[in-house]
Amino acid sequence: MQNRRIRTALFALAIGVAAIFVSATSAANAQPCLIFVHGKQTDTNTFTSYTSARNYWVNGSHDFVRTATKSFATPYYVVGYNGTRPYWEAQAAGEVANEIVNATNGIADGGGHRCTKTFAQGGTFLVVAHSMGGAVMDFILGNDDASDPNFNMTGPFDVASQRISFVITTGGAHRGSQGADAVCGGSNFLCNFIAGFIQNCDDATNWLRSADAVQVKTFSNAPSKLIYLSGGYEAIFGSSACLNGEDDGVVQYASIFACNGSATASYDNTNVCGNSAKQESANFRNLDGCHENHSDERDDSDSDVRKAIPGGIWNCGTTPCAPNTTVQSAMTTAQFISILY
Amino acid sequence: MNRIEKAASLVALSLLVPSAAAIAQEAYLALDAAKLYREQAAYPPSSRALAAGEVDPIRADRAPSRISLGGPDGAAPALVVWNSAISYEAPKAVDLFASLETAGRKVGALVITGDVLDSSGQASGTVQYRDDGIAPDAAAGDGIWSARWQGGKLAPGTGDTYLVKVLATTEKGEPRQAAGGFLYGKPGARATGRYRDEVRDGSLILSAEVEVLAAGRFHAEGTLYGANGEPLGVAQASADLPKGMAWIELPFYGKMLADRKAEGPFRLGSLALSTVGRMPNVLNDLALDVYVTRAYSATAFTNAPYGDAKLLDTAVRLERSVAEKQ
Repeated sequence: MQNRRIRTALFALAIGVAAIFVSATSAANAQPCLIFVHGKQTDTNTFTSYTSARNYWVNGSHDFVRTATKSFATPYYVVGYNGTRPYWEAQAAGEVANEIVNATNGIADGGGHRCTKTFAQGGTFLVVAHSMGGAVMDFILGNDDASDPNFNMTGPFDVASQRISFVITTGGAHRGSQGADAVCGGSNFLCNFIAGFIQNCDDATNWLRSADAVQVKTFSNAPSKLIYLSGGYEAIFGSSACLNGEDDGVVQYASIFACNGSATASYDNTNVCGNSAKQESANFRNLDGCHENHSDERDDSDSDVRKAIPGGIWNCGTTPCAPNTTVQSAMTTAQFISILY
Repeated sequence: MNRIEKAASLVALSLLVPSAAAIAQEAYLALDAAKLYREQAAYPPSSRALAAGEVDPIRADRAPSRISLGGPDGAAPALVVWNSAISYEAPKAVDLFASLETAGRKVGALVITGDVLDSSGQASGTVQYRDDGIAPDAAAGDGIWSARWQGGKLAPGTGDTYLVKVLATTEKGEPRQAAGGFLYGKPGARATGRYRDEVRDGSLILSAEVEVLAAGRFHAEGTLYGANGEPLGVAQASADLPKGMAWIELPFYGKMLADRKAEGPFRLGSLALSTVGRMPNVLNDLALDVYVTRAYSATAFTNAPYGDAKLLDTAVRLERSVAEKQ
């Protein structure tokens, strides 16, 4: 009788362990793969060196990729493209599209990290893009169908797009940067922009101006996959004074949140454009604003306040939080991303 | 990760639990995206319905926007620059505008000039802005300064994007600078003005005849308006065409008309043609209200969802990932 009880208990235990194992395996299988796309560069290092591309997301002991992937529990792939070239070129959009395809095929990035479940095996893939990476993704996703104006112009946009579930941009330069206007317009002496992002009017900077004639929206259709938008409003002394409305020191809110109309319109957390007033007629959605500057947005170094914005993701009770409500007192963008999937 | 970092990480993670505010639900983005993709899968990528009250996206895309930049430390007044259009067909003149503004109110300027540069940075002329009421300036002394730039003749299918470096001097003698720009080119094809329409497989196919002046890739997009003057939907097409005459078909998927019980005739309210395949694209002038179709019954159009396989696949993957996680 006692043996039977023991056998029953052991059987129950085995079932329990198996259930936990199956559950854990299932949860692991449910993990997406995060693909990181960096922003504007003043040299080609991120294109030629994986270490540089990886370090784009690191600041001392702070590591955006580590936090966003929940201490690397989520598989990831870090893209490195030529951030000195215009967003649409082969070494920019083309390279990013090719690397996304590689990632979704299970090929390792330059650091040996790979998505554990390929697209063919049913995997899902999220892109996290910072700064100019936003414009690069706009161009890829807005030219991924044979009916689009610049279909597959510099890379396999259709394959890359098909395999992405959605994109999250942080400080995305969807409408360029007024910093680029200042540098290319000759008024850079008026503003001290972060040299790491905008040093001179190189080709990439020229194509990040606010003029319609260089904007990605002029050369793309609406993105075929959702682009979720988050960005900072922590000013940088010297440069923010030259940007209209709230900004992260390099990119103004009108661009971070992909607003329609003027790229230099003044917005803040209370009135930034909602989801029906975007640069394209579909597939841009607000998440939130954060008290981070353009560097903090990609290096996990500033655990700070987060604010609700119109059409954003935060709920207070059962209804969306009023714009400019403090929704978190200390959360980095990387931490925020880690709770979004 | 050392022990201190782990401890810090745990503390940080504990702060992730929001007290009063929270994201809508776990895996909200995946579910949100899946839901939207299922809705959007009802139309092919080349065609999209517009919601009631939605603006014509093609006209919105072609509307020129104003660019402003303040002085040192954002000092007022700001220099605001804009054009009469975002692109110009060569050899048409390019009309440029500028004003100095403080809190949206125009203030005086001593002088405003502009340097025009092509995409390689080569100088392409200097313009003097004037506020004297002489064309292209509309009214003397209204604070809107105007200038005209005249480009040269170009071969079909060629063009460039131009930077305009504008320098203004305030009444106090302070400099203000801003960067505008425009597209200028000779399109490789032009619409002849001949159109035709038919119902094919439950969709409205609206075709525009084009004269191709130089072989290349061309993109056309159009907005269809209903009898009540509201835009109903957009369609687009791209094609590689040889020199000569050709037709480009805009396929307005029938569901956009069937669902709204829209009866013809329909109006092609906007038609944007461009020479594409290399950057910058060369944009033809936007054509407005170019064609009215025959009358159609709403029953002529399909109300069946298109079933875009790629979007549905993405939705399934997202939903499965959420289910597995739970």
